[in-house]
This record gives sequence, structure tokens and C-alpha cells, in this order.
Amino acid sequence: MSSLTILGAFLSLAVLTLFPAVMVISTRNILHAGFWLLPTLIGVAGLYAMLDAHFFVVAQVLIYIGAILVLILFALMLTRDVMNPRAPQHNRLVTAAVPTCASMAALSALLLARHPWPTGQPEAAAGAHDQTVALGRALIGTYALPFEAASVLLLAALVGAIVLAKAPQTEPPSAERIDCTGGEK
Amino acid sequence: MTVGLSHYLILSAALFGLGALAAITRRNAVAVLMGVELMLNAANLNFLAFWRYLTPQGMEAQVFVIIGFTVAAAEAALGLAVVLNLYRDFGTLNVDEASGLKG
Repeated sequence: MSSLTILGAFLSLAVLTLFPAVMVISTRNILHAGFWLLPTLIGVAGLYAMLDAHFFVVAQVLIYIGAILVLILFALMLTRDVMNPRAPQHNRLVTAAVPTCASMAALSALLLARHPWPTGQPEAAAGAHDQTVALGRALIGTYALPFEAASVLLLAALVGAIVLAKAPQTEPPSAERIDCTGGEK
Repeated sequence: MTVGLSHYLILSAALFGLGALAAITRRNAVAVLMGVELMLNAANLNFLAFWRYLTPQGMEAQVFVIIGFTVAAAEAALGLAVVLNLYRDFGTLNVDEASGLKG
């Protein structure tokens, strides 16, 4: 591929990533904001593909789009009736936050662009198969401990989510009964 | 002009800024979660860009991204459980209305 093709692909993926992100922030309907997240996540998956991170393209689609986005949309639809689209969707920090975030992003972009990174294209990455095999070996070899820590984190989060989301139980009637019998005796 | 490391870094800086803006200014708790997801995506993009251009033989960046995915999934699950509780207790999802304490 010529470098112009690659640049064009990068720029279109950048637009595909950033424009929906702006819409996520600015749209009034919260359900539309959830759906605008979809092209952003697809754009990031495309950027992973441009970076030759084959495994993470699939992981991004499976985990972010297939799990996290569906979870977010699920919660939005469960709670949709409280969101009045005519009510203000942004708090009063918005006048201060827009210049702050814009200047933060611009400043870090400026600093990162001026840093003398090694130029030139890196050598070709390994194929999808070899890369995934190497990653799997690393996860059960050198990096087994971080991998297990991530698993424990996920398990703890899932158990915590179940405990939090469980409907609050009414007072168990058994305690009262025990009290009554105790009083009679 | 070829696409270099700085292109990816600038893009992810912009994505991080947009995510931070969403997390700070949106009133809906789920939209705040969406902003956090955008920021996590920007961080993962940075990891993979550095991996590709600086250490293509190393495995550290990919392991970090896997942990980043795990953290994002855990954050989404826990955050939505909190959101459901918020809805049940306050009847609203606006984070500036759901204040149990004075002030």
C-alpha cells in the first residue's frame, strides 16, 4: 500500500472515532449517545487493525461492543423513562470544562508531536497466528501473575455487581417468628 | 507523509480529552460511564501504538491492554450495578441531583 492510502485510511478512521465521540457528549437523547458510542469503538478497532494488533481487533469488537456497549444500552433502556430529553443534559461545569479539556488535549498533543520519536516505519509485525501464540504463551508464562490478578479483579467485580444489583430484601419473616416463640417461652 | 507514532498519540490525546469532557459535564450517570470508557479506549490505543512503533518484540504493552480491557469490563459491570441502585433509591440518574448529604 502506498503511504497516501495509509494516511487516508488513518484519517478516515480518526474521523470515525472522534466525530461520534463528540456526538456522545453533545447529543440530548441519552439513548442516542449510547448508540453513537458504537462507531467510536469500531473506529478504535480499525486503528488497532492498522497497528497490526490482530488479537485486539477481535477483543475490542467482542468485549467493548459485544459486552460493554450492550451492558450500557441495557442499563439505559432500564432507566430510560427518568431521562427527560428536554431537561438540561450537562451540568453547570460545562463552560469551564470545555476550555480545560480542550487545552489539556491540545497541550498533550503538542508535546507528543514535538517529541523526537524514532521516525520511520517499524519492521513488519508477526502474522496474526504467530502474534496470538506469543501472547498466549506470555500470559501463561512470564505474565501469569498479572493475568491472574486481572482474573481475580474481574471475579470480584462480578460478585460485587451481583450483590449491589440484587433487589433489597424485605425483613426475613423467620427472625420475627423466632422472636415470637422466644417471647412465648 | 507517512503515519507515524505521533499521529496515533495526537488522536488518542483528543479521544482522552473528549472522554474527560463527557465524564465531567454529562449529568446522566450512564453517560459519565461512557466518558470513562472513551478514556480507557484512548489509553489502550496509546499502549498499542507504543508497542507497534517502539517495542514490537515486547509483550508488556499487550499484557497491559488485556488488563485495561478487564478493568473496563469490571468498571462497566460495577458502574451499572451502582446506576441501578441509584435509580431505585433516588428515582433519578442525574449525578448532581442524587446527593444524600447536605451540600
